[in-house]
Parts: sequence; C-alpha cells; structure tokens
Amino acid sequence: MKSFNLKHSLLFLPAVLFMLLPLYGLLTAVLNSFGRHRGWTLDYYRQIFESNRFVTSLVFSLQTALIATLLSILIGIAFTRSFYPILEKMAPRVSVWIPMLFPHFVWGYMVILLLSETGVAAQLLTAAGWIADPQQFPILTRDPDGIGIILTYVWKEVPLVILMLLPVYASIRPEYYALVDTLGGSAWNRITAVELPHLLPVLMETSLIIFSFTLSAYEVPALLGTTFPEMVSVLSYDWFYGSSWQKRPLAFAAMVSISLVLLVLSFIGYGYLNKARWRAMRGSRS
Amino acid sequence: MSPTTLEVKQLKKSFQEDLILNGLSFQLKKGEILSVVGPSGSGKTTLLRVLAGLETPTHGSLWMNGKDITATKANRRDISLVFQQPLLFPHMTVEENIVYGAKVSKKYNKQKVERLLEAIGMSRYRNHFPAEISGGQQQRTALARAMATEPEVILFDEPFSSLDPSLRQDLRYWVRDFLVEQKTTALFVTHDMEEAMIMGDQIAVFQDGTFQQIGEASVLHHHPANQKVASFMGGHLILNENEFVPLGDIQLSPGHGDGEVRTFQGRMEHLTYQHGHPVAHINVPALGSRVALPVQQVTTDTEEVTLHIPTSRIQRFEVNQHE
Repeated sequence: MKSFNLKHSLLFLPAVLFMLLPLYGLLTAVLNSFGRHRGWTLDYYRQIFESNRFVTSLVFSLQTALIATLLSILIGIAFTRSFYPILEKMAPRVSVWIPMLFPHFVWGYMVILLLSETGVAAQLLTAAGWIADPQQFPILTRDPDGIGIILTYVWKEVPLVILMLLPVYASIRPEYYALVDTLGGSAWNRITAVELPHLLPVLMETSLIIFSFTLSAYEVPALLGTTFPEMVSVLSYDWFYGSSWQKRPLAFAAMVSISLVLLVLSFIGYGYLNKARWRAMRGSRS
Repeated sequence: MSPTTLEVKQLKKSFQEDLILNGLSFQLKKGEILSVVGPSGSGKTTLLRVLAGLETPTHGSLWMNGKDITATKANRRDISLVFQQPLLFPHMTVEENIVYGAKVSKKYNKQKVERLLEAIGMSRYRNHFPAEISGGQQQRTALARAMATEPEVILFDEPFSSLDPSLRQDLRYWVRDFLVEQKTTALFVTHDMEEAMIMGDQIAVFQDGTFQQIGEASVLHHHPANQKVASFMGGHLILNENEFVPLGDIQLSPGHGDGEVRTFQGRMEHLTYQHGHPVAHINVPALGSRVALPVQQVTTDTEEVTLHIPTSRIQRFEVNQHE
C-alpha cells in the first residue's frame, strides 16, 4: 500500500518540477506587491486602483479578452459543428490547425501585414478599385478599440477550440439525436439537450485558457495595440522595465490582481462543474 | 371493431443494392400490440426507424388515423421510440427526463408526470440521476419519457436486450401490463420468440424483408406458414420445404401403434435441462439439422439414437396464410 502511494506521489513529480518556477514567480510577485523589502503595505494596490491609467487599462483588457474569448468559442463551435464529419479526416483537420504552429507574435505580424492601412488587403482592394486609396481602408490594427488584438486572438484561438471540441463531437452518440427527434424536439433541442451538456466541461476549460491568455499575454497587444488604452500586460511591462525602479511593485500589484481575477473565475468554473448534475454527466454517483 | 391507428402499405427500403424492407404491408388497430420477431440483422431496426421517420422509405406509404404521414418529419409524428439502450440524458434526474419528453412535445402537465412516475414505480427515485439507478429502472424511465409525449403509437427496439435475464423477465410482464392498462398501440421488436409471445397480441415473423406470417402464438405454432416460421418457432422438426412434424410426436423408441413410421438416425450431442425437463440435442445428418427434443427419460448408454416419426403426424406448411 505504501509503495502504491509512493508511486502516485512520484507521478506528480514532473508536474511539481514544472510548476516550481512559475509558483516561485507568483509567490515573489505577491510578496513584492505587498512591499516585502520596504515594509509591509497595501499602498501599491491603493495606488494602482486610484490610477486612471490602470483602471482604464483593466476595463479595456477585460473587455478585449472577453470579446476575443466569446468570439473564438462561438466561431469554434459553429465551425466544429458544421464540419466535424469532414474534420475527422486527416488532411482537413491538419489544415485547420495550421495557425497553431505559429507563435502569437508571428501571427500578430501576419495580421499587420494583411490588415494594416498599408497592408496586403488594403493594396488589393485599391488595385481592384473597391477603394480609391489605401488610406480609406478601415483602421483594424493599432486601433483604440482593440480590434486588431481581438482579430489576432480569434484567428489564433479558433483552431484551439476546434482541437478541444472535435473529440467531444465525435463522442456524442448519434442515437441521442434520433431520440430528441422521436420525442418531438427541434434542431435547437438537439443542441441544448445533447450537445451543450457534453461540451460544457470542455467549453468551460477552453474559455478559461483563452481568457487567461488573452487577458495577460504581452506580445500581441504590444504589437497591435495603442498607447491608450493599453492592455494590463503592456502597462505592467512598462512599469516593470521602465526607467524608474519605484514602479516595479506596481507591476507586481497589477499582475497579482489579474491572477486573482483568473483564480476566482477558475474556482467558480470548477465549483459549477463539480455540482451533482455535471458529476452525473461524467457517470459518477453522488 | 377498433379503428386502425397505423397502416403501412407496400413499404420498401433499400440501402444501395440491399433491399431491407420488401413490400411490407400491415395494420395496427387502436390499443393493439404487435410483436415483430426475426433474426439479428434482418432489418427490424430499419423498419422501426422508417416508421418513426428517422429514415425515408424507398417506396410505399404510411398512414396514421387515415392521414398520409409518409413525408412527415420524425419530430412531427405522433410516434415514440424506445431504444435498445435507455439513452436517458445523464445530466437530468429521473423526473427531469420525463418532464423533458412532455415539454419538448408540448404536452406537459404536472399530474401526468406524477402519474407516470407512480406507474413506473420511480416516485422515490425522482431526484436520482441515471448513473445512480439500475439498468431496469433506467429502461422504465425511458419508457415513461416516451409515454410522456402521449404518442399514438409507441415503438420498442429490443428494449430489454441489454438487461440481465431475470430482470428482463420481470420487465416484460410489467411493460406488457403497463401498455394494456394505458391502452397504448405498440409495435415491439425482438429477436426472442418467447419475448414476442409475451409482449404481443399478435406476432409477426419478419425475415427477408417481409412478414412471413402474422398471427397469434398458437396459430404460428400449430400452422406455420413456411419453413422459416417453423424454424423460428422451434417447436418442430422440419423434414423438407413442405413437411414438418411437431417435436412432441417424435419418439426415440419404436411406438406401439401399427401405423406407418418414418425413421431417422441421429447422434445425441448434448443433454440439457429446460423448464425442469431433459432436452436431448440431436444431430440428424439426413436432414442436415440439429433438433432439441424434450425427452421423458435420459438414455445415457448410447449416443446413437433413432427418431421414430408416425407418418400420420407429419403436417404440411400452410402457404400463403400470412396475407
């Protein structure tokens, strides 16, 4: 019995080793945000939440991340739902996943090349005579509404959503659709009674992953964002590597606040999925 | 005379080259239960799927209460289907599953759900999830969910085949009583002749895409229409495509009568006991078949046996009886 437990503990070892560095980082960030070397204080949190620059940035970040997440999920569901019989074949599936091969900043550059005011799309539309001048092309990158950031993320994350949802769609027993039909249900009933309950855990996980990433990642907003409003990650980077060391704790306080938002969301999601109803979905008894 | 609820005319269904249903015609009167029995893979499920509207027939028409429903979609037909597996929604409780059937067909009322819960004996377990109840309880809940849509006809696709034998036996009687009580018109598909006899007022033997014979159990037993029906009933030794003899008239020792007797040599391969009687499993090379013959006493001294068949007992198949 003892060796059994030991074996189980050993299985956690790679994960623990892998997590050591980020956990150390998180812990140091938390300590520094409370002023570890200069006497314990809540002052840095007070400062950031009183700063217009941070609050605007936080709202902008949450809004951009939320829109990017929702659009990725909705487009991903629609795409998987419409094409999953085709996507079960190798070649179409691999071609859908191509954007996943590129790092985010490369994809960001691609979006700039394609959709900036001097980009390929603007040039093509001008050449085709649809617009008189490339300057008439709508501002889709480095715009104050975060359209460029959202576009890049959606483009990049939809393949991830498809990757996550495809096995779920493939595992839904077609008899359930026939059942809903014979009970008198519509196409909408098929979605709500059969598909969504199956998708829910994966959707929840995927949404959390995408939301966390889009909320806190640096390179895409740095490439495609403006200076005001800016994403929290860009602002924190600025505070962290800026000329004044005084502002470093502000960067820690900002990122710790973001981590807290994400932790709370994860716990809500986990708590919801752990309700008897969704445990029953996974076949376990309460 | 009860009115006709469901009428099927010249139904044909083929997948590519394979003809699964070949000009099937029959009627179901209101409140009637018809068992359809046939070997596995004979197309029974396809028949149900066509009736439910999940498959379109290649040819022929379906009529419900005098109205042509051949082109009506599955969700618009007053026909419910109970599947081989219970297919309960795993995230809904027993009660929610039944309520779902009622609501989705827009026939919800609280008393009806209460009555159904009561009828299937699941009131106590109404808040349990499917993973928390037994296979039999799941199948009863699935039946209540199908009944909650108040269908004109309810179709059963071997609903007990995934249950263990003792539970299956109990559930057969229970479902039969339930259907009779609710005056439900039903079509019950199975590959088990005993189950077909318990469940149906009439039994239709389905093979090669058509009904070989429809009738009550006693008619099918005493007057089988052809070799296929007789071999499926299992109560006869088939001598050739025209003649058969009831197993009860076969003796392993010479009879005392002075009538003409036909004999066949056989080899006893196994001895089993069914319903308290020994049954000899005899291979008869001359007929190219094996027969399970109930015997009075066990003769273990030799494997070689002779079947004695009085000629006067040999009967002929009643061809064309099924129309």
